[in-house]
Amino acid sequence: MKLLPWDYGVRNLLRAPGRTALGAGGVALVTALLVTAAAFVRGMNGSLAETGGLRNVILLGAGSEDSVERSEVKAGVAGIVAASVPGIEERLGVPYVSPEINVALVVNVDGQERQASFRGVTDAAYLVHPQVRIVEGRAPRAGELLVGRFAAARLDVPDERLAVGRSVDIDGRPWTIAGRFEAPGTVLDAEIWCDAQELRVATRRETLSGIVLTLADDAQTDDLDLFTKQRLDLELVALPERGYYARLHDFLAPVRAMVWTTALLVAGAALLGGIDTMHASFAARIRELATLRALGFANGAIALSLVQEALLTAALGALVGAACVLPLDGLAVRVSMGAFGLRVDGTALALGLGAACGVGLLGSLPAAWRCLRMELVAALRAD
Amino acid sequence: MSALVECRGLTRVYHKGDQEIRPLDELDLDVDEGTFTALMGPSGSGKTTLLNLVAGIDRATSGTLRVEGVELGALSNTELARWRAHTIGYVFQLYHLVPVLTAYENVELPLLLRDDTRRERHRKVAAALELVGLADRHDHFPRQLSGGQEQRVALARAIVTDPRIIVADEPTGDLDAAAADAILDLLGALRRELGKTLLMVTHDPRAAAHADRVIHLEKGRIVAAAAATS
Repeated sequence: MKLLPWDYGVRNLLRAPGRTALGAGGVALVTALLVTAAAFVRGMNGSLAETGGLRNVILLGAGSEDSVERSEVKAGVAGIVAASVPGIEERLGVPYVSPEINVALVVNVDGQERQASFRGVTDAAYLVHPQVRIVEGRAPRAGELLVGRFAAARLDVPDERLAVGRSVDIDGRPWTIAGRFEAPGTVLDAEIWCDAQELRVATRRETLSGIVLTLADDAQTDDLDLFTKQRLDLELVALPERGYYARLHDFLAPVRAMVWTTALLVAGAALLGGIDTMHASFAARIRELATLRALGFANGAIALSLVQEALLTAALGALVGAACVLPLDGLAVRVSMGAFGLRVDGTALALGLGAACGVGLLGSLPAAWRCLRMELVAALRAD
Repeated sequence: MSALVECRGLTRVYHKGDQEIRPLDELDLDVDEGTFTALMGPSGSGKTTLLNLVAGIDRATSGTLRVEGVELGALSNTELARWRAHTIGYVFQLYHLVPVLTAYENVELPLLLRDDTRRERHRKVAAALELVGLADRHDHFPRQLSGGQEQRVALARAIVTDPRIIVADEPTGDLDAAAADAILDLLGALRRELGKTLLMVTHDPRAAAHADRVIHLEKGRIVAAAAATS
């Protein structure tokens, strides 16, 4: 099949700049929406999937497998675990066993009460959560806090409000921000950390929420399972940390479904609009298309040229749409469980660009078919 | 020697609602190679329908139509499109140039359906534009040309593939007298100097006078055929 010149398709885009801009604008909106939806879902999934270390196991109170905040573990258990369970990672004799308290607390920020996710930790927390990196200030001491980079978004306050040196009130007592940390792509990013003992006092609780430990490279979870089954008095259950966050991931499935459904409905509406716009564009050139047919060009070659025009318009729109949402990469999004960063990565962009090309292709083919199926003699006489 | 175009019992029927329209009715016609034939008649007499059938852009309802010995009714749509590209040059009343392509690119279009190299295409397009006197306007877009110039580009497009048959549907219908004369002179020259076979629909007796033969149609039948008088 002999094809029409490439230039023919390109120049047709400039023939009606307003129409081309309108089409490209529609595709740009679809692309921006789909990339944002993908960035939202990927950011949410990623923060849950990447929070848990591959060799980390979390010990929770039996019956609290679904929520670390509801879990209660006796305070001395961390020491028992470190001494009793073989195969725990160590560095310079320090076992990777981190007793932690996870609790949602009301924080008073300039008279406004906000809920925040707190994690009371010891020095071992920095061993079992190697993603955490203090980027400003230092680790907290008594009466001090270490805030994640999305903690301000979680509290819905400006980022500078949680700058090092500022303070917030918890239960009427001021706590000073001693440092800031980041743990890219994890839910930890939205947390506020402080000393576990301090938090236990502040919350008047006797127990821990859980214990996070890291197994050595060649260690199996069997020993840990055996430990929890032998020490029934401790009322523990062991879960791979990734498994725990995978459960949260499943819990958020309706949110993801809603985001995708909205994005796809808008994309579907754009597709129908695209078909209509492209049909109007092609129909205005029926006589010209008929002339090409009369010269001997096959319907397939003409349809291909029309699809080329549509794809070029779609690609233009996709690039504009993608460029518009690129700056959103890393933007903090606040949700009920915390906050995470939008992830405008290659996959999200590829999805948006692919969908844009799909709109171009699916939008142009029916329109081209409707124009090219017209009887040649009648088409040559068309106004 | 057989005619280049042979029509036998050629009939075309359209249906418009319940109404049957028969623009061509059992028409017999031979057109010899190297002749210039003008088709005349009132609107609806079937002259354009006949032209479209000969050009292979429409299909007869019944009868036979052989052009260059090829029975057009036996060709598939794809075969017919390929046949048109190699055999026919079509000149439309309203030029039908592609507005986003330059004069050169418009003329080059039919050559893209062949296996010519770029160099061969360039030589042929340049020769066709030279022949119609528009070599210096090769990079002009249709909107930058007058009606007469547009029709000359259309003529160059029709002859660039060196077809044996050129069909023209009212080629001077939208032109002033001077431009019309220029087109008719070019058509005459194509027959005289290049031996092309021309079939032209016209309402204008002055245009028909350039032909060797004038055929009058009415209600889809030939009512008179005579040598033209210049």
